[in-house]
Amino acid sequence: MIISEKLCNDVTVISIKGTIDAKTAPELKKFEFASALESPVVIDLSDVDFLDSSGLGALVGIARKKRDQGGNVTLACMNNKVRKVFEITQVYKLFDIYDDVEAATLNAGKK
Amino acid sequence: MKALIIIKEQDYSWIREVLPHVHPLLVPICNKPFAEFLIDFSILAGCEAIRFVSDGPLSDVEHYCDDGSRWGIAVSYSSIQIADELQQVIKKNQRYCSDGKIIVISGFIFIHYNKQKDYKKLFAALPEGEILNCICGSLSLSGAPLDGQKAIVSDVALSLTGLNSIDVYYRLSMEVLGYASSPYVLPGYSNEAYCSIGSNVVITKGAEIIKPVIIGNNVQILAGSVIGPDAVIGNNVIVDRDSTVSASIVMDNTYIGEHLAVTNRIATENILIEPESGASMAMEDPHLLTGIKKIGSAETIVQSLVHGLMALILISLQLIPFLLLLPILTMQGKWKWYKNTSYTTVSGKTLKLTTATLERNGLISTLAGALSLDRLPLLFRVLSGQLAIIGGGAVVANSNTVADLSSAPSSNRACVFSYAEAEDWPLTGGDSAIVERYYAVHGNPFQDIIMTVKALFNRILEKNTP
Amino acid sequence: MTTMMTLPSDIRYVRLASLAALKIAEIFTECINTKMGNEDFCHAFELSVSEAFTNSVLHAEPSEQENTIILSFCSNSNNLTVTVSDSNPPFAIGAPSLDISSYPENGYGLFLIHQLMDNVSYARENGTNRVSMTKQYHMTEGNNL
Repeated sequence: MIISEKLCNDVTVISIKGTIDAKTAPELKKFEFASALESPVVIDLSDVDFLDSSGLGALVGIARKKRDQGGNVTLACMNNKVRKVFEITQVYKLFDIYDDVEAATLNAGKK
Repeated sequence: MKALIIIKEQDYSWIREVLPHVHPLLVPICNKPFAEFLIDFSILAGCEAIRFVSDGPLSDVEHYCDDGSRWGIAVSYSSIQIADELQQVIKKNQRYCSDGKIIVISGFIFIHYNKQKDYKKLFAALPEGEILNCICGSLSLSGAPLDGQKAIVSDVALSLTGLNSIDVYYRLSMEVLGYASSPYVLPGYSNEAYCSIGSNVVITKGAEIIKPVIIGNNVQILAGSVIGPDAVIGNNVIVDRDSTVSASIVMDNTYIGEHLAVTNRIATENILIEPESGASMAMEDPHLLTGIKKIGSAETIVQSLVHGLMALILISLQLIPFLLLLPILTMQGKWKWYKNTSYTTVSGKTLKLTTATLERNGLISTLAGALSLDRLPLLFRVLSGQLAIIGGGAVVANSNTVADLSSAPSSNRACVFSYAEAEDWPLTGGDSAIVERYYAVHGNPFQDIIMTVKALFNRILEKNTP
Repeated sequence: MTTMMTLPSDIRYVRLASLAALKIAEIFTECINTKMGNEDFCHAFELSVSEAFTNSVLHAEPSEQENTIILSFCSNSNNLTVTVSDSNPPFAIGAPSLDISSYPENGYGLFLIHQLMDNVSYARENGTNRVSMTKQYHMTEGNNL
């Protein structure tokens, strides 16, 4: 799994490439954001081909950490397999989910 | 052109309480799931893609529609939050909405359209903005008109009905049913106007169908029943003998018992709903109205295995008393063998059975009766699969019973013990017939075990022949 | 048709296990030769095996010999069963009582397996745990239009 960070419309975008499962999720959990905890972040999942409950847990954990500090996490570009996991566990209710990274960055800060 | 169908949980929460077993988007209107009407309309309006968007679960809808290849259209799904307004929803689906015009259908609404009309040019020419609205939602367009003529909103020959109560649902179903030449594509085969029948439908002799009527798949209408006028029968429904269903909707997987009159109601599982008031009544007696659980092919094998196992256990328990007591009873003249021919299944096949009758008076014969030793010879037939251990009573084959047979539910099998014995009804007569027919439909392997034990128990307590 | 695969009880192999399950489910659906509902069916196996394998690795007790996990697949006319066996101590796998409305960070694994698969059973034989997950392959069930 490869995690990269960039800036788009003044919002940090974390792009994840690969699978987020029990092997790779700990890496994601430990990821240190370059930006401050209270600034919004968009997680780009367009290159994530598979995600299981460990991946879900990692994303929920990141969202909790950020929200506790007044920040927020927005998700963008889930494929069908990833979306299904969010749907079955109802975790989709915790996130604003966009189908386009740019649209997500434009709306990320606003709540 | 694409369609965006936005439906929130609060829009359909009322129907969840009334019809809890089906996803609101898949609620059938004349046996066609609601979502399919939306899909049909979108295709008529010229859309190549549809996206269902909701703040509630969509997995059932996704399971049914899959990727839309069945209709030749691309179907996708996405989630929103409860507080998201239209603009926010479009932003969350920006990539989907970015190229071309989007028809936005928002709310739990039914669009009245006509399959004969072509709406493509109309929608291509309409300006951006709201086209139609009603209390529960709206139909609007997003994106500029495509090149060419411009149309105005009043050109649109469509109307909306907001689905916000069971009464509206009922009246809508009756309206859709009442068209001679339907403006919608409805399921089933329809050679004549006002009548559409699905596949694997058994309508026994003596049953009557009065138009307009629509019947789903895997339905049994037994002798003497009258279906219609204005009846919608769903899939996997059994309407037992001499019942009438008119001005009513019978939802999927429902059993309607004998001699019932269902008028101006919606029947679902064991609940009858009166549409105007929304009042519903749960039927406690399952013989009158119940839901039917599908018995999968694996279950019939399980059923045979369970029956076989019970037979083995009973044989092993009864064998020794049988061998000891039989000579004594034969000498006393209380045990008589006789042969008869019974129907095995509804198809009319017969089986020659050697059974025994036992006069139950005196200590030894009472003991033999309590242990159900007279049924032992038949148990061997259960092992070979020819009989069930418990079932709807063996029907002796003679000229009187032939007529009876054709009106039996198709899952009846000849048996050693009967359900009537288990429930302690007298063995002949109307009550036992009701019990037997009910279990013939609703039997499952584990219930059979309980019923067999009850039947055995009742035999112990049976009074002696005087 | 039975296929078996033995893997070390090591989280680095979880993707291998889940991909193997995905591919076998895909081949299975091709054998039955219908088109509808493939992705759902195959994804169910990919995800269930990923969860079950992960659970086996996480609950393993350290031992001198290398622990192994065995994946086996078998099918009959229209269902496919995958069994994940390990030699961990006995482990409870009843229907999970997860409070999903509280969005926990852990514990979704079993919940997902039960939601995705038609039948989940657990057996303990000769010191091994065996979790069997079966899914029925349905031919097109939609309306005949």
